[in-house]
Parts: sequence; structure tokens; C-alpha cells
Amino acid sequence: MEQSKRSDTNNSVNYLESKVNIFAPSTPFMREHLKVIWWLFAAWVAIVFGPVTVTFFIPEIMANITFLGFPLHYFLTAIGGPLGALILSFIYARKRDQMDERYDIQHTAGPESIATKKGTE
Amino acid sequence: MIFSLLQLLPEALDSSFKLVPALISIAMLVLFLVIGYLYRIADTDNLWVAGRSIGIVENGMAIGANWMSAASYLGMAALIALSGFYGLAFVIGWSTGYFILLIFLSSQMRRFGKYTAPDFVGDRFNSDTARAIAALTTMLIGFVYAVGQARGMGLVGMYIFGGDYTVMVLLLMGITVGYVALSGMLGATKNMAVQYIILIVAFLAGLYAVGYTQGYSVFLPQIEYGALFSKLGSEFSEPFVNGSYYLWIATAFSLIIGTCGLPHVLVRFYTVENERIARWSTVWGLFFICLLYLSAPAFAAFGTDLYNETVGNVYGANGMSGAEGDVIVVLAAQLANLPSWFVGFVAAGGIAAAIATTAGLFIASSSAAAHDIYTNIINPEASQRQQVFVGRAVIVILGAFVTVTALNPPALVGELVAYAFSLAGLVLFPMFFLGMWWERTNRQGALAGMITGLVIWFSAIFNEVMPSYISFLEDLTGEGGVILPVFGDIFPAIGAALAGVVIVFLVTIIVSLLTEEPSDRIKQIVRQCHSPEPMGQQQTAEDVVDAKRNQT
Repeated sequence: MEQSKRSDTNNSVNYLESKVNIFAPSTPFMREHLKVIWWLFAAWVAIVFGPVTVTFFIPEIMANITFLGFPLHYFLTAIGGPLGALILSFIYARKRDQMDERYDIQHTAGPESIATKKGTE
Repeated sequence: MIFSLLQLLPEALDSSFKLVPALISIAMLVLFLVIGYLYRIADTDNLWVAGRSIGIVENGMAIGANWMSAASYLGMAALIALSGFYGLAFVIGWSTGYFILLIFLSSQMRRFGKYTAPDFVGDRFNSDTARAIAALTTMLIGFVYAVGQARGMGLVGMYIFGGDYTVMVLLLMGITVGYVALSGMLGATKNMAVQYIILIVAFLAGLYAVGYTQGYSVFLPQIEYGALFSKLGSEFSEPFVNGSYYLWIATAFSLIIGTCGLPHVLVRFYTVENERIARWSTVWGLFFICLLYLSAPAFAAFGTDLYNETVGNVYGANGMSGAEGDVIVVLAAQLANLPSWFVGFVAAGGIAAAIATTAGLFIASSSAAAHDIYTNIINPEASQRQQVFVGRAVIVILGAFVTVTALNPPALVGELVAYAFSLAGLVLFPMFFLGMWWERTNRQGALAGMITGLVIWFSAIFNEVMPSYISFLEDLTGEGGVILPVFGDIFPAIGAALAGVVIVFLVTIIVSLLTEEPSDRIKQIVRQCHSPEPMGQQQTAEDVVDAKRNQT
């Protein structure tokens, strides 16, 4: 699988002719990218809105389970939410770096990099 | 009115002139002005996007400082202390939204590579009307948001300098306006890194000191405050007493998509060297934000417990007031009997937080006026000098408006800021998201969507917030001070974006489908934003597309 992607990366795809639609990715790069995005997005929804929703249905049970002194719903929201989002962000940035490597993308910096500077107005 | 302002600060907080805290604050303000002067700007690239030169950690810190305002530093602990579990909707909303921004917009926006948020709307939908609506929305967001900051500055300033509220707002806003007008985005970004360090050190030092001296915590107060729950009473943690499940979700959702629609947040991606740095600086930014956001509930818990023990009941009829809540971070340090220079240092961190965010807001607003409205619509021939002049003039005028409004602010710091979020989420986020992820979105769809968003936001604000200030509207209200309770239940001012954004998306999509497709050139610009091919530091997606089109 991973190997076959290499063959149809950069050179053979004309990105300016490939439609952009979040539900119908048209290039291998977008397909792969969106797969990462949707999985992580689903995890994010569960982490962010999961605890509060569960608490809505079973408030007593959540409040009676304690963890390090916290009622469970409080812990999962106040600490689980922000930390979970941070971890997911880290995973996404790592995944994108790995994709860049597979697609042979180098982000060079500095004004003398790639292409000619087309002026800044 | 004047009397109520003089009594803004709680009696427990001694608001007199304090020498050492005053010196610390003055030194800090002078430092901001010096940095602003050293990085003063003469051209528009440095004024709007810092020459696209900022690196990962520095931009991460700037994201953090730009983000964490008086609403995070002071307001969030207040909301948690006063509204318990509902307050956590703000913790979630103001932190986890960065993930959505990261996966759906950060790289693409960097590739789009213009100057401002209205630039995206105007260019993507090829419409000066859309650009103007986005620019006016940007200014409105900046205004509402900055009023909250000015209130925070005034409250903290009163505590440190002992002056009255009006004088403190005037003084601190004056300094902010001065250095932002002088230094533009480049100086503001350099300052934001410094401001982040000051605010996080002050906040964490305050938390650790209060926790340690009062025996609450030793190593990790962010976790150790769990031990206090049995003592704090059910108001602090019981779910859905201060707001229904729907309100909780609506608030968190609004803040999350507001995060993704705020122009001063978006522009941070335009200031970095390339898209990879845009991504990693978002991760760093969220890390820097989490340091404070994981600490704020602990601060609220310590403050609430100390208040209970030394002042009186937090909840109930004679409980803690909104104004007391808004300074609970400083109040906690004071109630813990920490030395006054230290309490002053904690307070000074709040000023740094308010100033950094106000700077970001003012630059986003002034670029909307000077770059998007003046240069793109009114005077396309404008020279760099003229643009910089208009930009500075707008900063000063907006500063004056904010200052005057802040003298009698309509709500708590945190609430004011939340209104700006629902506005950004309703009007700008759908345009960014659809514009970037569905190439078929066209001008008519965008215009219809943005107008729908504005109507929903203004309706929610008039329904719920304005009646307290405009007497003829007040006469229309029924129970709970709301004109139309049913509307208020579905579109609460603070969380109007939950139901609202669904409508805006539908309107935009349906109108787009009923009208003609956007041009090939526009579609190619969108496609270029999703291509993996690297781009030059100063190149925009438009440059690449136009170059290729000219070749063929």
C-alpha cells in the first residue's frame, strides 16, 4: 500500500486540475490527508463532547465516581479535554510531517528559497 | 453610574497605590514601548504580517499571548468559580478549537498567503462587497473583544495604582494604542513572545504560591486541587445547575468555531515562514495555552475555598459578585496573605495578557480598514505611506471608541469576549471553511451566508444583551430580561453559533448551488491551497495560479 502511493505522487498529479470537495477528495494526497483528518476529528469529538454528553444521561454515576478527588465528569472535562486536544494536535502535525516525507516535500525557508519571489506589492 | 464604577473592586481587595507593584508594572509597560520602538515599521508587509518571518516557538508564544487575554487570565477563573461546571465550557471552547483550526485551516490558509482575513473572503469570492462585510465584521469583533480587555486592564490597574477606574482605562489603553500604532505586527509579535512569558510566569507563580502557602498543593496544583472537591460544595462541580446541557454545548461549540473564525487568530498563520511552521506553531501555541487553561480551574478552586473561609459564602444571596469574580486570581493571592509586591506581580500579568490581545485585535481591525477597505476598495493607488498612515489612524480611532465604551462595560470580561466569538463563528468561520473545502462555493452563496450570520448575531444580541442598556427594548422584555424567550433558548447570545452556523452553512450551500459556478481561476487558487507542492516564502496561491495560467 505505502509503496504504491509513491508512484502516483507529485509528478503525475496536476493539482490545479483536481477538484476540491471535502467529501470527494480527488488526489491521492488529499485522500490520505482527509483520512488522517477524519479519524482525528472523530477522536476529538469523543474527547470534547463525549464526557459532557455521558454526564447528561447518567449524572449521578459520573459524579459519584471520583478520580484523584475529582468527580469523573469534572476531571474528563477540565483536564481530559484540553490535554486530549493537545495530544491530537501533536499526532496530526507528526502525521503531516510523515506525509510530506512520503511525497518528497521540503519546506525550505528564507527569501532565497524556491521559485522567484514575485514581489510583495 | 460613577459611584457603581468606584465600587467595582471588592472591599476585600485593597485598592490603594502600591509602590513595588506599580514599579513592576511601569517597568513592564516601558519594556513594551521600547520593544515596539525597536521594531517600529515603515512598510505594510511588516505592519500586517511581520514580513512572514516568524519561527515555530516564537509564533507559538505569539499565538498564546495573542489568545490569552484578560478573559483567560482573569475571566475564566471567574466563570469557573461563579458558574461551576458550566464554566468548563469556556475552558473546552477556548482551547480545543485550536485543533479544528489546525486540521482544517492552518496549512491551507498559509498557502493562500494573503494579508488579512477579509482578504481571503474578498479574493476567494471575488467580491468587494464580501470583502467589505468581512472587514466590518472584523472591526466589530475587535471592538467587542477589546472592550472586555479594557475592562480587565482598568480593574487590575485600580488595584495596582489605586487610581480610579476611568483614569486607569484611559492610561493603559493609551499605552497600548501608542505602541501598537508605532510598531505594527512586527513589534507586536516580538512583544507577544515577551508578554506570554510574563503572563504565564505570573499566573503559575501565583498559583504555586497560593497552593503552597495554604497547604493545597506542592508539586502539581493543576491536579492536586482535586482534593478540595469534597469541601467546595456541590455548586462548584455539579453539572447543569447554572446552564442546561444545550447551553453548555452551544457555548463550547460557539467558542470552538469562533476560534476558527477570528481574524486576529487567522493572521498568525500569515506571519510564519511556511505551512509546516504554521502547523507546528499551532501545536506549540496550544501547549502554551494549555499551561494556563489547566491551571485556571485550580486557581478558581483555591480562590473559592479561600473566599469561603475568610470572606463569606461564595454562592447564594450575599455571595461573590461578578466584579469580585473577575479579579479572583488577584483576590486569591491577596487572601492567601502573600506579600503585596507578589500580588502586584500576579496582577501585572493580567495587564500583559490584556495588552497582548488588544494589540492583536487592533492590528487585525486596522488592517481590515486600511488594507481591505481603504486600499482594496477606496484607493487602489494608495502608497505604502498612505496605507501605514490610515492603519495607524484606525488604531487610534478604534482605541478611543473601545476606551469610551469600556468606561461603562455591559458585561463580565469573559461574557463580552464570548459575544465576539459567536460573531466570528457565525459570519467568518463558514466562509473560511466552505471557501477552503468546497470549491463550488460562490460569491452569491457567501454574501447570503454572511448576511444570514450577521442577522442571527444581531438578533441574539438585541434579544438578550441590549435590553439592559436601551430602555425601549427593556419595555419589550418578559421573564428573564429576554424579548423572545423561545429565540433566546435556541440562540443564546453566548452560544448563538451552534444552531446559527447550521443555518448559515445551509444558506451558503443552497444559494451557491442555485447560482453559477465560480471561475476556473478561483477554483485553481483553492486547489493550490490543498496541493502538497511547496511554495516560496512570499508566494501566495494566487501568484502560483496566475503564473501557470500565463504560461499556457
